[in-house]
Amino acid sequence: MTTLRHGFGKWITSGPPLVFLVAFFAVPTLIMVLASFRTPGEFGGLAPLRNEDGSLDLTLESYVRFATEPLYWQIFVKSFWYALVTTLACLVLAYPVASLIAQSDRRWRSLLLLLVILPFWSNFLIRIYAWMIILGPNAALARAVNGVLGAFGAEPVPLLFSAFAVLVCLVYVHLPFMVLPLYANLEKHDRTLLDAAQDLGANAWQRFWRITFPLSLPGVYAGAALVFIPAFGIFAIPDILGGPNDSLIGNVIKQQFLDSRDWPFGSVLSIVLTLLALALAGLAAWIGKRGVARLASGHA
Amino acid sequence: MKNMLSRRAAGLAFGLLFAAAGPALAKDQLHFFNWNNYIAPETIQRFEAQCKCEVVQTYYSDNEELLAKLAAGAKGYDVLVPTSNAVQALIRGNQLKPLDHGKLPNMKNVDPAFMNTKFDPGNKYSVPYAMSTTIIGYNDQKMKELGLPTDTWAVIFDPKYLEKVKGRVTVLDSANELFAAALIYLGYSANDTDEKHWKEAADVIKKAKPYWAAFNASSYIKELTVGNIWIVHGYSNDIFQANLDAKAAGRPFQILQGMPTQGAVLAVDNMVIHKDAPRPDLAHQFINFMLDGRNSADLTNLIGSGNPNTAAAQYISPEIKALPAVFPPKAVQAKLQQLQDLTPAQRRLRNRMWTEIKASK
Repeated sequence: MTTLRHGFGKWITSGPPLVFLVAFFAVPTLIMVLASFRTPGEFGGLAPLRNEDGSLDLTLESYVRFATEPLYWQIFVKSFWYALVTTLACLVLAYPVASLIAQSDRRWRSLLLLLVILPFWSNFLIRIYAWMIILGPNAALARAVNGVLGAFGAEPVPLLFSAFAVLVCLVYVHLPFMVLPLYANLEKHDRTLLDAAQDLGANAWQRFWRITFPLSLPGVYAGAALVFIPAFGIFAIPDILGGPNDSLIGNVIKQQFLDSRDWPFGSVLSIVLTLLALALAGLAAWIGKRGVARLASGHA
Repeated sequence: MKNMLSRRAAGLAFGLLFAAAGPALAKDQLHFFNWNNYIAPETIQRFEAQCKCEVVQTYYSDNEELLAKLAAGAKGYDVLVPTSNAVQALIRGNQLKPLDHGKLPNMKNVDPAFMNTKFDPGNKYSVPYAMSTTIIGYNDQKMKELGLPTDTWAVIFDPKYLEKVKGRVTVLDSANELFAAALIYLGYSANDTDEKHWKEAADVIKKAKPYWAAFNASSYIKELTVGNIWIVHGYSNDIFQANLDAKAAGRPFQILQGMPTQGAVLAVDNMVIHKDAPRPDLAHQFINFMLDGRNSADLTNLIGSGNPNTAAAQYISPEIKALPAVFPPKAVQAKLQQLQDLTPAQRRLRNRMWTEIKASK
């Protein structure tokens, strides 16, 4: 009886999100997979499933195109670097913020957290446009930077429409996604461990590197996944702030569906992107688990 | 207390929702899927007063976006304003409802030169709305200072000129428009589909790319207005808008239109009715209204579009009539070309080249 009720309750609570996920993740993914084997229609969309002779219009053409053209791999690699740099920069910037919040007085914590998510109160695109103004050639920042460069006899550099602009905005937009999981982790740390370490003669750096950081690894991995995966596929930021060389894989995928009206090839690129993101998340989870396991055995 | 407050807030929100939805439900609505900034609010108000209905506008920023949305099954739009080649794609894709010419007496106002085109023989589905050219836009002060020409595509593509404006140039983020400009610059037709010529055009683009600040189809109006960008490959009405904005902001420079002597792309946008239009009656009423000379003239006077409506001519300000990019003289007209739709294979090839251009250093 209890197990039945238990099972029923479980279904009631987990059912709706499960249905939601299946409907809005699995089904579109399935459509994408099916579309990737078709050919583009004359005027957009997909060509009819049956050819004029009645045979099925299924082909590996889009996969072959992807596999045989190094161009698309190069763009994946480039997007990977942008996402990796973004993730590392977010980690370096978010760690002190998260530990500061975790160590601050309980009364202030929710206020500080609120400040971290404050940017979400305004629209994503408006925040990107704000960066256009901040980085513009006639704005104070660009003048100051180029003034300093000029003093050393260097050529002035544009800040807007550059890889720099794209990275700054990627970091800015994703920073809260790194702070929050780190905070959630750091807040739970048992401070007596640090006291014990200090008693045993560990200096501040050793206490951080041997105690706090290893314990925070699950938070680091969660934050890294939350930053890396969306940054890997983003298209709006390079579209708006990027220069002529900052087209990333997200932009190429968007082009397939809009400019080129080539759903099959766009689907192939999306599938590869999803698989790569899954593989990287899996890798991170595996490393994370191993790290925690090693830690556990080391302390045992 | 808190609970009370939130409940009251919820009540208020509901009240507002109904207050907003109430009159909207009672009123007839026309759903107009239009380009950004492609009709003046004054014109909309006049139509609303006449039809005693409400015009609900949603926007797209290029034909591809419109086609993609409709191909994915978007519904609920009455009137759309696609460019000729997209009209053709929509007709072939069975997305449009035939027009009832009997309900459109003002169709007689349209210049016959723009009627009965190969995109839609007999205007079964579409009727011209307004047009634009894809040209050069420039900051007059800077161009004068630098002594650069403004009537040739060379200023966008030739490193000899580009050296002087490095990082101050944007081109449209559209493979079709940029390839067309490069093909015209090379002396080919904008609709040339010879792969060899496309490669030459791609080379021209790659050589010029290091000098460009960005591929930009969204914010170049603003960048011109504030003086960050001095020269663009862009749409005539956007450049018109940039000049209005620069004037309004009291800038010391003007943003002017340069019509390249080699020729340019002409885009004629057409009113069509979607096959699933909820209100084809209002749609016809609206199309006929927009074909009226005075209403059509607003498209030119207020937003700087070219105008294929002969009845509008008398209402158009002489200042705008003198702009060759808006009202091209006969000699220029002969060099304007409308883009044609590409086949899927051609689109793939072009997109591959485009991706390569974007990825190249």
